[in-house]
Amino acid sequence: MFISLDNPIAERKTKTVYRDGDKTIKLFVENYSKADILNEALNQVRVEEGTDLNIPKLIEVSRIDNRWGLISEFVEGTTFAEKLEKEPENEEEILNQFVDVQLNILSKTVPLLNRMKEKYKRKINSLDITDNIRYELLQRLDGMKDHVKLCHGDFNPSNVVIKENGEVSILDWSHVTIGNASSDAANTYMQFIMDGKADRAEKYLEIFSVKSGINKNLVQRWIPIVAASRKAKGKEDEQELLDRWLDVLDYT
Amino acid sequence: MANDYKIVDSLESLEEKIKQVKEAQAKFAKYSQEEVDKIFLAAALAANKARVSLAKMAVEETGMGVVEDKVIKNNYAAEYIYNKYKNTKTCGVIEEDKAYGIKKVAEPLGLIAAVIPTTNPTSTAIFKTLICLKTRNGIIISPHPRAKKSTIEAARIVLEAAVKAGAPEGIIGWIDVPSLDMTNMLMQSADTILATGGPGMVKSAYSSGKPALGVGAGNVPAVIDESSDITLAVNSIIHSKTFDNGMICASEQSVIVPEKIYKEVRDEFAKRGCYFLNPEETEKVRKTIIINDALNAKIVGQKAHTIAKLADVEVPEDTKILIGEVESTEVSEEFAHEKLSPVLAMYKAKDFEDSITKACKLIDGGGLGHSSSLYINAEKEPEKLEKFYSAMRTCRVLVNTPSSHGGIGDIYNFKLDPSLTLGCGSWGGNSVSGNVGVKNLLNVKTVAERRENMLWFRAPEKVYIKRGCLPVALEELKYVLNRKKVFIVTDKFLYENGYTKGITDKLDELGITHTTFSNVAPDPSLASAKEGAALMETFKPDCIIALGGGSAMDAAKIMWVLYEHPEADFYDMAMRFMDIRKRVYEFPKMGEKAYFIAVPTSSGTGSEVTPFAVITDEKTGAKYPLADYELMPKMAIVDTDLMMNAPKGLTSASGIDALVHSLEAYASMMATEFTDGLAMEAIKLIFEYLPRAYEKGAEDPEAREKMAHAATMAGMAFANAFLGIAHSMGHKLGAFHHLPHGVTVSLVIPQVMRFNAAEVPTKMGTFPQYEYPHTLRRYAQIAENLGIEGKDDQEKLDKLIAKIEELKATIGIKPSIKEYNISEEDFMATLDEMSEQAFDDQCTGANPRYPLISEIKDLYLKAYHGEK
Repeated sequence: MFISLDNPIAERKTKTVYRDGDKTIKLFVENYSKADILNEALNQVRVEEGTDLNIPKLIEVSRIDNRWGLISEFVEGTTFAEKLEKEPENEEEILNQFVDVQLNILSKTVPLLNRMKEKYKRKINSLDITDNIRYELLQRLDGMKDHVKLCHGDFNPSNVVIKENGEVSILDWSHVTIGNASSDAANTYMQFIMDGKADRAEKYLEIFSVKSGINKNLVQRWIPIVAASRKAKGKEDEQELLDRWLDVLDYT
Repeated sequence: MANDYKIVDSLESLEEKIKQVKEAQAKFAKYSQEEVDKIFLAAALAANKARVSLAKMAVEETGMGVVEDKVIKNNYAAEYIYNKYKNTKTCGVIEEDKAYGIKKVAEPLGLIAAVIPTTNPTSTAIFKTLICLKTRNGIIISPHPRAKKSTIEAARIVLEAAVKAGAPEGIIGWIDVPSLDMTNMLMQSADTILATGGPGMVKSAYSSGKPALGVGAGNVPAVIDESSDITLAVNSIIHSKTFDNGMICASEQSVIVPEKIYKEVRDEFAKRGCYFLNPEETEKVRKTIIINDALNAKIVGQKAHTIAKLADVEVPEDTKILIGEVESTEVSEEFAHEKLSPVLAMYKAKDFEDSITKACKLIDGGGLGHSSSLYINAEKEPEKLEKFYSAMRTCRVLVNTPSSHGGIGDIYNFKLDPSLTLGCGSWGGNSVSGNVGVKNLLNVKTVAERRENMLWFRAPEKVYIKRGCLPVALEELKYVLNRKKVFIVTDKFLYENGYTKGITDKLDELGITHTTFSNVAPDPSLASAKEGAALMETFKPDCIIALGGGSAMDAAKIMWVLYEHPEADFYDMAMRFMDIRKRVYEFPKMGEKAYFIAVPTSSGTGSEVTPFAVITDEKTGAKYPLADYELMPKMAIVDTDLMMNAPKGLTSASGIDALVHSLEAYASMMATEFTDGLAMEAIKLIFEYLPRAYEKGAEDPEAREKMAHAATMAGMAFANAFLGIAHSMGHKLGAFHHLPHGVTVSLVIPQVMRFNAAEVPTKMGTFPQYEYPHTLRRYAQIAENLGIEGKDDQEKLDKLIAKIEELKATIGIKPSIKEYNISEEDFMATLDEMSEQAFDDQCTGANPRYPLISEIKDLYLKAYHGEK
């Protein structure tokens, strides 16, 4: 397949995303782990095939100029992030829809996906933190309920697109796992905070809690764990806050 | 051991350590109590000696708590635990009851996995190692990474002292470089887990699949009631809350005060060095102590001043406690959490009720099952105290006590077991609700030897016999028993034929008032018993005389019950039981209103000396067989004059009934030598005199008298040894096909005897005295007593059965059910139902062979066709 790389639409440390007509090309940097790329492709396809969720279909896994790339359908439309930006007066309503989409995902399961607790355990073990904090975090994780709900893992407003026909499509399944719904909400909550949207984070958590029937404090119990996972990504300006979130005791 | 000590820092080295400790424990399991007590003492002494150095080390390593308070904890863990358990038996036989043949034998559990928290790193280690030594368990400690040095040091000191005193090398182990994987592996390899820590740890422990003594977080509310001594209350709370900078899980987290005394309480806190945060400072402290609903590790066990500084709040250096005056008891309120530091929430309540509501809410939010605290004048306000402890879902309710010191026991109270591991019950997701101690670390075996049931012999206090004894016996009513009003129960036939006259004439002569109820029908109904009882209620007799056969005596017994206990429920009374002494229903006490005298007019039922009665509910047709020694008549008068003119049918049916009573009582599992003698003699008399009584009736008074005595003796035998399945089957056959009781039991007895005599029964009866199937021998003894000879027991049994059949033929009883004009069709239609009901009859329980329902069915079929 001939792919044009003339139109880059996003640039990250490890990858560049291009658009070519009705396709998206996610091109990873050279030497990026093959296993991670193939795993991402596999995850996406498992969700594509294992659920009725509206997600971009994977078209091809390619090698382009010594780099691995994932080619999927391009989804035309407005993201929830853009919508929130444009219509701040509708924040409440948009967040409600946003939570509905998340709860719909959480109502599914895809048995062959990776288990969330195992993934977090690996992340915590890879972190540069004191033995004391690691022990507390692992212990906290160990005591969590091991569910099998489909968790997007990076559910934020920029990953949800409203198409022109009104359909909602969910992008970027690279972090998907099956596990505990509270954890997925904790992750979303943290992303709002890290984006400097503390008020929105609280609103989101309130709506999630009401709609899901899950107590807020159950979501909050996951915060040190999702924070550890975020810390692993290593953004400089977030370290201090994340450290503060990590250094807590399992006495709630 | 110091030289070749291998560090435990990986799953492999832990595996090796587990193996070592298990081996050491296998040796330790064989130690005597004396050896163990010596080790326990030496270990406690060593731990106590190290109390100061260990306290210093713990504070230095963890940066939490107060050295001087940790000294107290270490001292407590060594001294109080030793003192509590020094004389406790934990090895071998710890309890014995020779009469009951019961021994309780204590054995160790094996390997204990002990998780030790950062909050009490040395004292908990001392506590857990000591109780493991006392119980001959091995222990491996998983310390918290933050406190590993001091925890391991405490364990090492205990281990060295124990080994020096004779304990096996390596009986105590630990993980040197802790990780959660190793903790989990340890928990999975241990025999029991002693987990102290937060909810995560407790969940891990319980999910390891091993039995766990896990305990959890507390969130202790302290309610101060208006009646309390406020100065004592406030200073107790300060004392407790500042202890080791608030790191004991039983420490107060909030104080709830009714508005009436709020100011007074607040002033006392302020006066004693506590700092009340203003709203702005409260908000700052809020955000410091709790992060995302979790406790900030940096404040745990710190001084109030340090915490204030972290929150950017200025307080005096020597501030004891930071108090936030807050309103919400929801978990969203940071002050409502467990804080493990000298930070306290204070709530204003409307009144005592509101205080309880708030305390419950706080406990629900995070301290379920742990502890609660109340300050009150317990003498003056017992109702309030009860209200409080009833409402608290906590396993400890501490009254007028600093809760840190109170919860661990034996300091401010003296019957709460001293412990540093406090169970939180099911409310806290724990398997124990009390304070954990040595009792939780033992397997107690019960060695139970076979013992025989106590048996008994019970009979009416007076049994009067011989012809013409009735008027003589009745004299007692006046001269001994001082009775004034007699109620006579009899049937119409006897009444109309003047049988009551002998009694009433005598009563008139004695000047005793009397009345007669003569409306008893055969198979007496509940309705007629109620009718009689209503009359009794009006007449108010102090004596009841039952005159007649089984029906009149049974009806009179029921009236007696209704008269004395109108509230009694026959359905409950008739409940089947396995053991009359263990029955669920407690029979009401009889004889408080009236003295009961039974005067039989036929020779058969034995009701005059038995504790049984059967009554039929005429509405439903249900029969209620009642059995309890309360139903035993007080006096039986067996006067043959009343039996002289019994018709042939009655003589034969009741006579053969008495024979079956004797045969079943003799074969019963509950037979004793006392009942054997009576049964054996009765059988002999019946074989000899029943044909004569039947043939000659009143012309042979000797035969009549012997039969009267035989029937009463048989009654006494089965009143104590009970009956068997001939009666179970007879009862149902009579109920379904309306044959006289004596006839029914005699129709099935030959089959039942063959069935019971089997040396290889499908199932034998369950009773300790019945050692093995030996009923053939019992029947053979009866045969021998009758002079029957045979080459073996089987032949003797066959001849005995033939003799019974011969007797039946002589007195006009037909050889099969069929010959009583019951069609095969009718019989088959009822067979299944009849078999099942017979199986569940009260009489089945004493039968020496436990019948299957199908076997009863088979017996019925054989009896129907009269198979030999």
